[in-house]
Amino acid sequence: MIENRPWLTFVSHFSLLLGIGVVALPVWVALVASTHPSSAFGAGEIPLWFGDQALENWRSVFLGEASSGVDVPVWYMMLNSFIMALGITVGKLFISLLSAYAIVFFRFPFRGACFWVIFITLMLPVEVRIVPTYEVVANLDMLNSYSGLILPLIASATATFLFRQCFMTMPGELIEAARIDGAGPIRFFFDILLPMSRTNIAALFVIMFIYGWNQYLWPVIITTDDAYYTLVMSIKRMLAVDQGDIEWNHVMVTTLLAMIPPVAVVIGMQKLFVKGLVDAEK
Amino acid sequence: MNLWQGAVLMSVYFPHKKLPYLLVLPQLVITLIFFLWPAEQAFEQAFYQEDAFGLSREFVGFDNFVYLFNDPQYYKSIWVTLVFSFSVAFSGLAIALWLAVMADRVIRGKLTYQTLLVWPYAVAPALAGVLWWLLFDPSMGPIALWLQYFGVDWNHFLNGDQAMTLVVISATWKQISYNFLFFLAGLQAVPRSLIEAASIDGASPFKRFWTIVFPLLSPTTFFLLVINLVYAFFDTFGVIDATTQGGPGVSTATMVYKVFNDGFIGLDMGSSAAQSVVLMFLVGVMTVIQFRYIERKVEY
Amino acid sequence: MSDVVLNNIGKTYPNGYHAIPSIDLTIEEGEFIVLVGPSGCGKSTLLRMVAGLETISQGDLMIKGAKVNDKEPADRDIAMVFQNYALYPHMTVYANMAYGLKNRGESKEVIAEKVTSVANMLGLEELLERKPKQLSGGQRQRVAMGRAMVRDPKVFLFDEPLSNLDAKLRVQMRVEIRQLQRKLGTTTLYVTHDQVEAMTLADRLVVLNKGKAEQIGSPMALYNKPATPFVAAFIGSPSMNLLPANLDEQGICLSDRLSLPLVHDHRGSIIWGIRPEHLEVVDEANADFALRIQAVESLGAETLIHGTVDLGVKQEPMVVRLAGPHWPEINSLLWLKAPLDHWHVFDAVTQQRL
Repeated sequence: MIENRPWLTFVSHFSLLLGIGVVALPVWVALVASTHPSSAFGAGEIPLWFGDQALENWRSVFLGEASSGVDVPVWYMMLNSFIMALGITVGKLFISLLSAYAIVFFRFPFRGACFWVIFITLMLPVEVRIVPTYEVVANLDMLNSYSGLILPLIASATATFLFRQCFMTMPGELIEAARIDGAGPIRFFFDILLPMSRTNIAALFVIMFIYGWNQYLWPVIITTDDAYYTLVMSIKRMLAVDQGDIEWNHVMVTTLLAMIPPVAVVIGMQKLFVKGLVDAEK
Repeated sequence: MNLWQGAVLMSVYFPHKKLPYLLVLPQLVITLIFFLWPAEQAFEQAFYQEDAFGLSREFVGFDNFVYLFNDPQYYKSIWVTLVFSFSVAFSGLAIALWLAVMADRVIRGKLTYQTLLVWPYAVAPALAGVLWWLLFDPSMGPIALWLQYFGVDWNHFLNGDQAMTLVVISATWKQISYNFLFFLAGLQAVPRSLIEAASIDGASPFKRFWTIVFPLLSPTTFFLLVINLVYAFFDTFGVIDATTQGGPGVSTATMVYKVFNDGFIGLDMGSSAAQSVVLMFLVGVMTVIQFRYIERKVEY
Repeated sequence: MSDVVLNNIGKTYPNGYHAIPSIDLTIEEGEFIVLVGPSGCGKSTLLRMVAGLETISQGDLMIKGAKVNDKEPADRDIAMVFQNYALYPHMTVYANMAYGLKNRGESKEVIAEKVTSVANMLGLEELLERKPKQLSGGQRQRVAMGRAMVRDPKVFLFDEPLSNLDAKLRVQMRVEIRQLQRKLGTTTLYVTHDQVEAMTLADRLVVLNKGKAEQIGSPMALYNKPATPFVAAFIGSPSMNLLPANLDEQGICLSDRLSLPLVHDHRGSIIWGIRPEHLEVVDEANADFALRIQAVESLGAETLIHGTVDLGVKQEPMVVRLAGPHWPEINSLLWLKAPLDHWHVFDAVTQQRL
């Protein structure tokens, strides 16, 4: 800042450290809780320092020998989560790249209508139309399947909207140069458009992956078969036992495992993540 | 920059007839099947009364809506939604703004601070709820026990206000990172020359913030307010479902939670569909506000 | 054989706007044609119609005797240099230049050979592996030209290629473009709004105004005998002094107190013009009129004197261009003579030269 005021600098750092502490507090406690035997939680208070059961808890949860309420091991649900998250991400990117390309670079009858049909989905998160969507998916016999987990969540226009913005900023002369160079629409798409949008695609990939991984309500509703449980929703099943019977140490291991992939993505690809986030709301 | 620009022509495009249809087809099909069809069904169902087993239904006109708007429980859920959303929005904005202002001030370690503050964005709402539940668990959570030590009888399983507090804290915790990023970007976009001019005019850092920076930040603030309300309305389902399941009673049952609850648990399809329709209308209004705002932003 | 023929070419937009009513132009092989005019005159539209980037609403466009109205840009055997260069930002200089050849299915060896030889000609050898954003403005301009040249097209199209360069580089590139074109002998169509560029580059100029060709001819023909006041004002810097007047038995009557003798059988309102460099400073006795000096711009080699001529009812602005330095006083009178053989007289109604 302009003046040098040591006490203000001190306040700044102090506030930030305090903020970081408060933000990290629940994860710290969860980490501690994950290292104790389940008997430790009946004693009336959560221990505040690490116990000695860390390895055992993490191993047993990960390999699924002792999770209550769920019959498949955590690694299996993790796999499901990955399939769902990647399916949603890739699916969204695929359909929205194509449709944004059509809408921006072509003129065709009913273009406006297509635009509106697609963009109207911007308005409605799946939570709002949850019951009828469930019925449609049930009618299509897609309950308890990966396509049932993935396809309905692809029907969102955010990515299309974004790519449309990104494509519209592309200088028209580039397309003309490509046309003179003899590139048709398909060549243009692969040779020019995709390489030029790769940062946007990557940024969106990060955001979509987090969105996909963190889906909760939809998997809860359409999966009754444990084989299709995802990690995030399995928490609900683990907590759906009597209050006293919740195995907090195992729940916390699962929670932490469910957090690790998206958090790692955010921290590891912070630049792309921030770009994706800011673009998505522009 | 905005949705209504759909009609604006880009002057350069490919002269092909069939290809564009092929390109929009996948998205159109997905949208028709998983969006328009369900939305249409919701509209239709909102005018029917179905028995609990789904075997028969009869047309009841606007009865579902009439019933809905005469149901004190529905008004209660609207109230819960409002209290919840505005609490989340305001506490999230206030804390994030404070942290962003502080982070904007520091010269060293800015990126490290940012990293350590933004990661909760990646945590699923349901998990955020579970994490805070553990801290506030009445029989063993450290914060609950600490509150009880000071005479606060904390039990969010029995006390509706405390349950609300818990879900607000969980939802806010997750959203701070998002607000923080946008506030920080907004602060960094404030022209340095303006701050320098103000300090030459003798304004203290505190005064500078309230007279220069905060007014310039108001577009960001308004935008975040809308986004936060939308977030609290829809994306926090997981927080509520994982921790309180709308309880105790209906003290944390927001409108979205009630759609789910009446539809899947109560099996009252007509009412659930009517609520969906009301929510769709509400989202529509919010979307328009959002885009109106963006439209204005472009003119700046 | 003439190379490019525009036969009654016109452009009407779907909203009914007539951008270009009708233009006829025959371009000989190897000729350097410059389309010049103010912004919005339709010169870029015309160029883009030749390129195939805009559809042609009427008329025929022939390249080497074949009608190409409905051909794709890539099939017209043309190459274009864009105002902002339109280099593919994610490709290296080499890939940028090779892209068109690659799409044509040329072999790797042929591409390498052609790109290298053009790169040598333009002095781009060192830059082939760079990306456009690592290049200076002048280098980008050169790459854009190289991309056009490797294809060895029948026609080069330039759309204001120098307008993004600074003044010094612009002069340098202007000379270079002219030399390259001479060397390659490729028919060239060049669009600019800068009349200096137009004059120095063109074999023939097409001055466009509101979609119409005001005049087509060599730079000197346009300078010496502009067909319309528009061309007269557009060509030459500073531009020609144009004054409204009346032609009658006495000659050119600028006002009731000032007339210039001329024998001509046209009668009625006219526009009388004289270039600033053709006015002569004389003593009061030999003068045609006096200029009240308002501003003096000394450029060393020449001096521009801005002032007004008192016509009684109104003051008409006029500029005089004198060689060498001069220091006349502001507000003083400068006595001027307008030699008869440098007069330009236009009909005020038809706007045609008399």
